[in-house]
Amino acid sequence: MSEHQDQNIGLTPGDRFGRFVRRADMRETLAWAVFYTAVFVVLALFFYPKWMPAIHSTNMKAIERLMVIFTIISAPVCGFVLSIATYTFRHGTRGNTPPQDSAPMRTNRLGIAVFSAVAGVLCLIAVIYGITAMNSEALAAEGDAKNALVVEVTGSQWVWSFNYPSLGVQSSELNLPVGKPVKFIVKSVDVNHSFWPVQLGVKADANDVVAVELNTTPNKIGHLDVKCAELCGLYHAYMETNGAVMSQSDFDNWVTANGGHTA
Amino acid sequence: MASTAMTPQKRMASALVGTLLGVAVVAAVGFTLHSYSADPNGKLYATKSSDTIAVNGKTYPKASVTLNVYADNGQEADLGGKQLNGKTNKEDWVHYGPSTHVVLPAHTYITMTIKSYDGGEKLNNAYFARVVGTVDGTITVDGQQMKEVPEDAVQHTFTLHGLPTTSQDPLFVNVPLLKVEEGDKGFLPTKDSGTNFKGHTITFSFLTGSKGEYVWNCEYPCGDGSYAKFGNAMSAYGYMSGKVTVV
Repeated sequence: MSEHQDQNIGLTPGDRFGRFVRRADMRETLAWAVFYTAVFVVLALFFYPKWMPAIHSTNMKAIERLMVIFTIISAPVCGFVLSIATYTFRHGTRGNTPPQDSAPMRTNRLGIAVFSAVAGVLCLIAVIYGITAMNSEALAAEGDAKNALVVEVTGSQWVWSFNYPSLGVQSSELNLPVGKPVKFIVKSVDVNHSFWPVQLGVKADANDVVAVELNTTPNKIGHLDVKCAELCGLYHAYMETNGAVMSQSDFDNWVTANGGHTA
Repeated sequence: MASTAMTPQKRMASALVGTLLGVAVVAAVGFTLHSYSADPNGKLYATKSSDTIAVNGKTYPKASVTLNVYADNGQEADLGGKQLNGKTNKEDWVHYGPSTHVVLPAHTYITMTIKSYDGGEKLNNAYFARVVGTVDGTITVDGQQMKEVPEDAVQHTFTLHGLPTTSQDPLFVNVPLLKVEEGDKGFLPTKDSGTNFKGHTITFSFLTGSKGEYVWNCEYPCGDGSYAKFGNAMSAYGYMSGKVTVV
């Protein structure tokens, strides 16, 4: 029986866990874990929102909130993994001759239970919050769809085109009035694409069998990037176009300039 | 027995050299593939003119360039083309020529002529039957001005677009090419093939902005049956798609 195991004979799981976390290597590892976790939490709260695309809808705001919360939730797990890597890097054996194996470590059931419980709760929070957050935004947008401006979105290799049936306008750019609900009817005429107006925080697959409906309400004037998020062939990387959320008067002027009529 | 252990300095140096060699090999392969994909049949430079033209109160120098669309290599040969895509296993692929990489001068009034010799059917997306992005919103087909082509009479399109980055001006041009039909005045069967058309001559003009890299492709499904008729010629560099470099 190893010396390590001898030391643990007769101890309760709580005692063993206490000894475990008081060891010098564990103290350093835990210190690194706290440090890395704090770094990721700070990044998530104060820097991540600055790196995200601009927010032009409540859907995109929900996406940002979701990304921040998911980052915070995953910070302890990431911090723990990085802390082990850091400890190993700092105390790893150097030289050509590897050391002998250490004594086998006795299972620490309490340690495993704590880790599993914490990781499981974090996962549950992520799953439940993720589903409810996205669903509530989708339901809210769908509720506004009765008065929505309908935009038919067509993906063709490798260009997006947009048809505004109520306004008599077709365009290769996606322009929308601020504050008005929009219903996108998304389809493809060839292979599968994925319609992704980034700053609006919505995304839908485009296929040639079923038209997919997508609702949102742009709430801030600004630039839109429209991308294809489905690998679709030779020039998939170029399947992007410009767009904008603009004031109602600017939108009306754009419609008129492109041969359409205002509603 | 003599020790064969490497010193830490040697280990570090060998690791560094190995990493650099690996990076060099990957980079060389990448650059070679990129170079080939960008120019599978060379570059076609627009011919600059000494003339200028005023558009919307601004004066632009003029340049012109001509492209052709052939149904296959045999037709191109009959018409005196160079068969730059003349690989034996792809000789029946529809293609643009003489090159699919066009180089245009910046801030210039470009007049592009496309001589097209192919038949056609209905477009997948009627949007591409419209003329978009030319100076006056029109094209001329055999001298006749048009704003659009019937969506079921399109043989191919020249659809120019690019990434919407802040580092280059946007450029979007869509020109539908009217198909050639038997009985058209443009139909001109020759000797024994019966597939050699006089074709249509489509001319249009557009303005280039600052320097940039763009791509163009055909929006008519003229490939084989795979990938929604976007297989073979539509899925390979150097046939029905290419690049436009504004310099």
